[in-house]
Amino acid sequence: MSRYTMLSLALASFFTLASTSDALAHCFVGARFFPATLVTDDPCVADEMSLPTVAWSQTADVPPASQWDLGIDFSKRITENFGVTISQDWTQIRQANGTVTQGFSNFETTFQYQILKDREHELAILAGLIVDWGHTGSTASGFATDYSLLTPTLYFGKGFGDLPSSFSWFRAFAVTGQVGYQVPTNSFDFTQSVFIPQQLVYGASLQYSMPYLKSEIIDLQLPDFFNHLIPIVELTLTTPVANNFGNPYTTTGTVNPGVIWVGSYFQVGLEAMIPINRESGTGVGVIGQLHLYLDDMFPTTVGQPLFGGSSAAPRKLTF
Amino acid sequence: MRILTFMTSTLLIVMAATAAEAHAFLDHAEPRVGSTVPTAPREVSLSFTQNLEPAFSSVEVKDASGTRVDLGKPSISASVMRVGLKPLPPGTYRVRWQVLSVDTHTTEGSFTFRVGQ
Repeated sequence: MSRYTMLSLALASFFTLASTSDALAHCFVGARFFPATLVTDDPCVADEMSLPTVAWSQTADVPPASQWDLGIDFSKRITENFGVTISQDWTQIRQANGTVTQGFSNFETTFQYQILKDREHELAILAGLIVDWGHTGSTASGFATDYSLLTPTLYFGKGFGDLPSSFSWFRAFAVTGQVGYQVPTNSFDFTQSVFIPQQLVYGASLQYSMPYLKSEIIDLQLPDFFNHLIPIVELTLTTPVANNFGNPYTTTGTVNPGVIWVGSYFQVGLEAMIPINRESGTGVGVIGQLHLYLDDMFPTTVGQPLFGGSSAAPRKLTF
Repeated sequence: MRILTFMTSTLLIVMAATAAEAHAFLDHAEPRVGSTVPTAPREVSLSFTQNLEPAFSSVEVKDASGTRVDLGKPSISASVMRVGLKPLPPGTYRVRWQVLSVDTHTTEGSFTFRVGQ
């Protein structure tokens, strides 16, 4: 048995043992649970980890190249409302002629602050700053840059459970979204002799919560597996808006229909990636993610904010 | 081989989570969520997926005009919370609950059921 195999099984055993302790989920806003979305971000600070996110797609090149992306990110609450996420991606591109290019993108850090959690209206708002640190990845392979990118971003999530009862099954819908403005620390790339555009980076998701349907609207007595599903459509887009001289202002991105299965300590998501135009890729790709709720798995240690404790401390409940 | 190992590891995690059932989600209720019952129930029973802390868990039942129709303090045993009801005339009733699970996390929710045709 290889070292890799032993490590994988040891990790699995560790999670197996850890998950026998009592725990609970994290991104609740009132009765609504927002799952971690795959290509956008959910509207909560939390202790969580995506390990891994794997995507396959075909580039917009002619002929198209095959691209694999492997990502890991780890989120930690510093206080109850302030959290930091660190992310790292690795990419491999195989050209039609067999040429392979691979390497790491720049190391990314996201700082987020929870502005609002309105339980009554199932509304969450989050402000963040995404920093891609220049020269921390494989600049030689072209997957990383020697300049940094700063992206102030606003995130939101809204469940429709506060609609009148007459809306019935529609109340299980929720939307999430994010809008960011990406600013590079350099305005001109001297190695490629091109301007580096400032970009609008934005996305959204429309999701239908079967857990919400069962516990809040109507119990259809479906098999338990279906009561854990959240069918979802995600949209992620990028539009150059400034400093893009000589280049088209074309919006690129993908529409991602898929489904998320939500468990007690983790979720598994799978989505198709459909390019919105020729510049965004060729054909349909696929993305999958295993996402771990660390605050559920380790509620008294890793799952706690570093400072200030958690609002989850016992309190007398009143309506 | 690596893919097989990864899938095996993931399966172990899935099995663990399935067995543990840690969330204090509402698993099922009597009367059922969104159901219509022909005769008035004497109590509402809520079964959760995790054991509850009785001192910090509560439930109330109101009629369409907002008047409470439950008998007050619920009885809680392990993961099941029950509250008695006054005699209910036909109509729609809303159950609101908040619970603290034994790991100190809170969850909440509400649903309706109908008495009569």
